[in-house]
Amino acid sequence: MLAADEASNPWFDASYVTGNWDTIVVHLRQHVTLTVGAVLLGVLLALPLALLARRVRPLAGPVLGLSSVVYTIPSLAMFAFLAPFTGPLSATTVLVGLTLYTLVILVRNFLAGLQGVPDDVREAARGMGYGSARLFWQVDLPLALPAFMAGLRIATVSTVALVTVGVITGNGGLGQLIVGGFNANFYRAEIVTGAVGCVLLALVADVLLAGLERLLTPWTRAVA
Amino acid sequence: MRTRARSLLPLAVAGVLLTACGESGSSGSSGAGASATASGDACAPVAGDQLVVLEDDQQLQNADNVVPAVNMATAQANPALLPALDAVSAAMTTAELIELNGAVDLQRQNAEDVAAAWVEENVDAAALQQGSGPIVVGGANFTESTILADVYADVLTAAGFDASVREVGNRELYLPALISGSEIQVFPEYLSTATEFLNRQVNGSTAEPVASGDVQATLTALRPLAEQVGLVFGRPSEAADQNAFAVTRAFADELGVSTLSELADACGDGSLVLGGPTECPDRPFCQPGLEETYGLQFAEFRELDAGGPLTKAALQQGEVSIGLVFSSDGALAQ
Repeated sequence: MLAADEASNPWFDASYVTGNWDTIVVHLRQHVTLTVGAVLLGVLLALPLALLARRVRPLAGPVLGLSSVVYTIPSLAMFAFLAPFTGPLSATTVLVGLTLYTLVILVRNFLAGLQGVPDDVREAARGMGYGSARLFWQVDLPLALPAFMAGLRIATVSTVALVTVGVITGNGGLGQLIVGGFNANFYRAEIVTGAVGCVLLALVADVLLAGLERLLTPWTRAVA
Repeated sequence: MRTRARSLLPLAVAGVLLTACGESGSSGSSGAGASATASGDACAPVAGDQLVVLEDDQQLQNADNVVPAVNMATAQANPALLPALDAVSAAMTTAELIELNGAVDLQRQNAEDVAAAWVEENVDAAALQQGSGPIVVGGANFTESTILADVYADVLTAAGFDASVREVGNRELYLPALISGSEIQVFPEYLSTATEFLNRQVNGSTAEPVASGDVQATLTALRPLAEQVGLVFGRPSEAADQNAFAVTRAFADELGVSTLSELADACGDGSLVLGGPTECPDRPFCQPGLEETYGLQFAEFRELDAGGPLTKAALQQGEVSIGLVFSSDGALAQ
């Protein structure tokens, strides 16, 4: 049934990667930019929200609830809602959507970390004359850091996956390769390149963040 | 992420297995020619590798010819732009589009290389009016659109513009961007699809359809709509990517038919087996249209896909006599 001049269609094809390296790098760069941007913006939004939720207890429920509700909006619908405001082809659409999705993970983990700081430690610090800024930097942050970093790692890895959905706006990072392969008569090498690229990117990001966590919390290993 | 990417592979594998099932599995019910219809078997399926499209001589299908869409302000500021794109339309035919799609989809060549080679061979760069300035050509994320966007960009580069290609998503998103003109200024559109999209945008979602199988009539309907939203359309090319009905070359040769009308004359005994997407029996472009416009009669309808691998395999293996395909599919014989 194959036409005579039809090329074979293997799952793994190094010549696809070398022949399309420039395109792959462009998509990879976009994937990384969107992931890093969304997670950074997410941290900047989630930290004040978590601090607010800890200080004003009745707000904790609504803040967590709202970020969870945002997460339940299907990503395709989210990008469609945002597109008229952020520009139909702009990567901002994807960036804003992804940032909102990181909130559910980041706010929850940040709040859990902050709530895990023992009250007597904070009281002792306050008794020693720590102001609220110094209390945050020298007491809250170091003690909550493991929970912060756990949240950051989950948010980053899940964002790497979600970027691919941005393909409906033409800004899907490596997702462009996955969908493009499906639309090019099921070009397996292209699909696999996009999919494997996503997996590798998530792994690399996770390892980097794990290393950062080790660097930032030397005291957790000093005891052993 | 890791769970998602892992789940993709099994999904893709499942897709392949399903396709395989469609190809061989449906042979279980393939006694179509000899089935219930006792009226004859003159038009029973004939297996064969090569697929040919039967001409839609009564214009049942809307004319989806490739036509350049350009932002109006950009077109007015760059008088050399539209003539360069019209030079592509003048040279592009459906047969060549099939060849270009086949080179990428079947022979797995690079779309940019394929487009560059076509421009080299078919467009006289020296005869183009010269322009200048940056132009961004949009292309959707499927083979044909990518190739056409690359062709447009290459021709515009030859005409002195600083042209680049930008991958975009759905029409609902890229057409507003083309109208605003800030991110993309040129797009390879399809005549009837673009006409109906703008018709619904200008006249509301319940607007009476104005596109038809007549290229000139559709273009005449499109021009005022385009002007209203701020777009200019160039000259439609002969190349069209629209619904079409294909048979195997063996089948066409045996009956000596090349148009749907000739098929209707040759197949009066109602032994045709039709293959198409699920909605085919309800849609005017498919089974009802074939029956009313051409007077074709079918022994059976086989539910397959919309011009995808299932339909093409069913035709080639002699499961169906005639199937719905897209007229520029790379798998169609020249």
